[in-house]
Amino acid sequence: MGALAKLNERLRAKPAAHMLVERLSIAYQTPRGPFRAVDDVSFEVAAGATLGLVGESGCGKSTVVKSLMGLLPEGTSVSGRALLNGTDILGLSERALSDVRWTKIALITQSAMNSLDPVYCIGDQITESILAHERVSKAVAWARAEQMFEIVGLPGSRLTEFPHQFSGGMRQRAVIAMALSLNAGLLLADEPTTALDPIMQDQIMSRIRSIHADMRRSMILVTHDIAVVAETCETIAVMYAGEVVEAGPTAQVLQNPRHPYTMGLQNAFPKLPVRGQSRMPLISIPGTVPNLLHPPVGCRFAGRCPFATDLCRSEAPAKLSNSISQSAACHYQDRASEFRAIAQKASTWRHKDG
Amino acid sequence: MDKTPPSPTVIEARDLKTHFQARSSLIGALAGRQPRAIRALDGVDLAIRRNEIYGLVGESGSGKSTLGMSLVRMYEPTGGEVHYNGENITHVHGKALKDYRRAAQIIFQDPYSSLNPRLTIGQIIEEPLKIHRIGDAAERQRRVEKALELVRIPAEENLHRYPSDLSGGQRQRVAIARALVLEPQFIVADEPVSMLDVSIQASVLEILDDLSRDLGLAVLYISHDIATVGYICSHVAVMYLGQIVEEGTAEDILTAPQHPYTQRLMAAIPSIVPDENRERVELKGDVPSPLDIPPGCRFSSRCPYATELCTTVEPQLVPTAEAHRVRCHLYDAEAVATHPSLEPPTSQAA
Amino acid sequence: MRLVMKDSFVAMGVAILLFFIVIATFATVLAPYGPYEVMMTEAGRLDRLARPSFEHPLGTTAYGNDVLSQFIHGSRVALIVGLVAAVAVGFVSTVFGVVAGYFGGLVDDVLMRITDVALSIPTLPFAIVAVSLLGPSVQNIILVISILFWRNGARIIRSAVLTERERIYVKWARAAGASHFHVILHHILPNIVRVIFLWITMSVAFAILAEASLSFLGLGDPTVISWGQMLNTAFSSGSLRTAWWWVVPPCIALTLLVSSLYLIGRGFEEQTNPRLRRY
Repeated sequence: MGALAKLNERLRAKPAAHMLVERLSIAYQTPRGPFRAVDDVSFEVAAGATLGLVGESGCGKSTVVKSLMGLLPEGTSVSGRALLNGTDILGLSERALSDVRWTKIALITQSAMNSLDPVYCIGDQITESILAHERVSKAVAWARAEQMFEIVGLPGSRLTEFPHQFSGGMRQRAVIAMALSLNAGLLLADEPTTALDPIMQDQIMSRIRSIHADMRRSMILVTHDIAVVAETCETIAVMYAGEVVEAGPTAQVLQNPRHPYTMGLQNAFPKLPVRGQSRMPLISIPGTVPNLLHPPVGCRFAGRCPFATDLCRSEAPAKLSNSISQSAACHYQDRASEFRAIAQKASTWRHKDG
Repeated sequence: MDKTPPSPTVIEARDLKTHFQARSSLIGALAGRQPRAIRALDGVDLAIRRNEIYGLVGESGSGKSTLGMSLVRMYEPTGGEVHYNGENITHVHGKALKDYRRAAQIIFQDPYSSLNPRLTIGQIIEEPLKIHRIGDAAERQRRVEKALELVRIPAEENLHRYPSDLSGGQRQRVAIARALVLEPQFIVADEPVSMLDVSIQASVLEILDDLSRDLGLAVLYISHDIATVGYICSHVAVMYLGQIVEEGTAEDILTAPQHPYTQRLMAAIPSIVPDENRERVELKGDVPSPLDIPPGCRFSSRCPYATELCTTVEPQLVPTAEAHRVRCHLYDAEAVATHPSLEPPTSQAA
Repeated sequence: MRLVMKDSFVAMGVAILLFFIVIATFATVLAPYGPYEVMMTEAGRLDRLARPSFEHPLGTTAYGNDVLSQFIHGSRVALIVGLVAAVAVGFVSTVFGVVAGYFGGLVDDVLMRITDVALSIPTLPFAIVAVSLLGPSVQNIILVISILFWRNGARIIRSAVLTERERIYVKWARAAGASHFHVILHHILPNIVRVIFLWITMSVAFAILAEASLSFLGLGDPTVISWGQMLNTAFSSGSLRTAWWWVVPPCIALTLLVSSLYLIGRGFEEQTNPRLRRY
């Protein structure tokens, strides 16, 4: 077992990554012009920290993930920087990318069902990814894979099974085991539990949390579920229509949101009742997300915001430059506490339904 | 929810069973082996009244959609009965079935695939009227506009648009309007908001709530998300492997769940309030296949409190309080008396 | 029409097809002579195998017929056989495909086994035997072609129906009390009409080629001139190598007509299958 111990030692010595994304803009080319999926997004993940990137469908969060993994379609225009331990990983060649993927950034995707190859047993797939980057024997790689299976709570004996023999939850765990196998400095978890039932979702998320606590890898959790971020991440970045509208320490942002969109999301989020307490009604945000082929001139949320003024409709608020301290892309940040009080009333959001 | 004079029951299931035949292999069939039955729905009793939204909660494979489909007679039940306004419609066919289809409607989860992309909103909502040959063109037009008004979609600007011009929330409201245009008395809403963004889910739930109150509809609201159920339902049933394991008022179920499965399901919901410590019990394994239902209590294979009794004797739904029933030996006084090893879990009710 | 404008290949295909349709429609006006009218030289002898000249732009055949006139009249058979057979094929394929795909289960099993049997019939031998047994006539050729080509179409259309059948609005329509007929008419057919049209377009091309092959083999209708028959006569008279003016026009016409149909079909396929669509 000397070789395995050495491999583990070597992998454990890898430092957690520091990720700094600066002024990232991404536009897809479509027949009807550029689609600005991501516009001037900046955030930072300190070594060993977790960032939750939340937003609803079409807000650009998956595009950010794709750009970090070098998975954007050809011809997409990308500007800005994404510094992984000081090196820009945007626009790397396919060759250079293969050194980054798995060894430095490991991806846990939304579609666990599709990211495993149905014709190889799961153990082979994990050992293959280890062997591609580490010069060890196959037996050692397999032993490492067994250890990873234990970490995610699967018996090592099931490594010889094929993806179709696993349930959805087990497959998701196998994908996590694979992502952990090279102890990459940054884990990128893109909707890791979306397709799963609530109990399985909860078990996987607590597994991810305990793994994070043990290994202190840096992590970006991309999800539409603000509550999962609330329970998992130290910092949060809320995205809306391609922009980060509010960011900062999770507890602060969720207790004292400064952006009306964050307030609206909280109102709309279903909560469990507490006996004997009257409960706030669910309030939805009226209107729809703007079309990013022709983004509005001013604040992108202005069309749905109950507090929007002429200033909001004509001038875009300053973009956020980092995610470390709480800040919001809103002209009226200083009136946030006043807004918060009004935002809790359903009538505030009722003015324009459609 | 005030519940002073009980409104009449619209739809009722009595010991309802819907089993499917597993596709048998050729060799198996030649060997004379019986194809195995998938017991998707296995003995469900449930009644929904006028003006009531009844919540049905469970994980995938629990049989909640099968129940919805059986109640609207998309599946013909293999056992038990379905009564609509006191009339047994379990096995009706032909004209009687078509009449029932007019009275019972279903709304599906996916707002993107539930509307034919080639038809306009107006045509989509008019279709049920044409199917049932109701009214002339002008009358139908009037009804379509009224249905759109009920779901708060401005008729004049949307009648001639196509589904692709609408957002997910608007599409789901069109699907509701299409169900309403026949003026049904009973609607099954199968996960109507689970594919919608959180920010607009409330608008669809609110419409369902208003409709049941204003039009006297009985609604079966099916969801895997127990949190949304609390906002609109008066009663809730929790399903596991084809059976109801707990039922009661929404207030009781959501604030004081008794069945170990319900408790675990509630604990699985992440909270938006940070630093709130949730207590969780790790469940063993996955939901068993409905082809291989464990003997005794169906939840015993995963239940942290399971005893020998649980793995041998099937528990019944027993009342534990007024309008609250639980299918668990732990709450069955008789079972607890004869089996001292049974120790009730630290219920959140206690 | 927007489809035509967008794709120059499709536009080309449509232009070629229109050209042949015009020729076929006005054949009697356009052709300088009757297809079997015998040409005489001034010396009173049979004007056979004359090279192209002002009087006979495409020369004459070994039997003294004007090639251009035969060529123009021949386009009629190609188009009639093509269109009639294709419509018949399209109809049978659609009925089989829709019924099998929509109802599934036992109906599907039975219909698809019939299709499998039909698929195992070897195309050309069957056509030759059938036409010789039934007797060579345009009607019989159409019949044989229809029997041969519905089978592939039925499978293609069935698989399209299988996808459409799973749409939630189909499920919904049934739940709302719609009859099977209503669902097929309103939700299935409109969504597979492109597939059917594509298959019909392709069938026209198959039918034209099949008719030409049969006629070339001497199984064509002896009373009506067709391009395949022109090639057959050229071959049997032994002039295939020498009289290029006699052989080349029908060959080019067949190639052009069939390619035009493929071009149109390809355009439709791109519309039907978004994965082939170019941005």
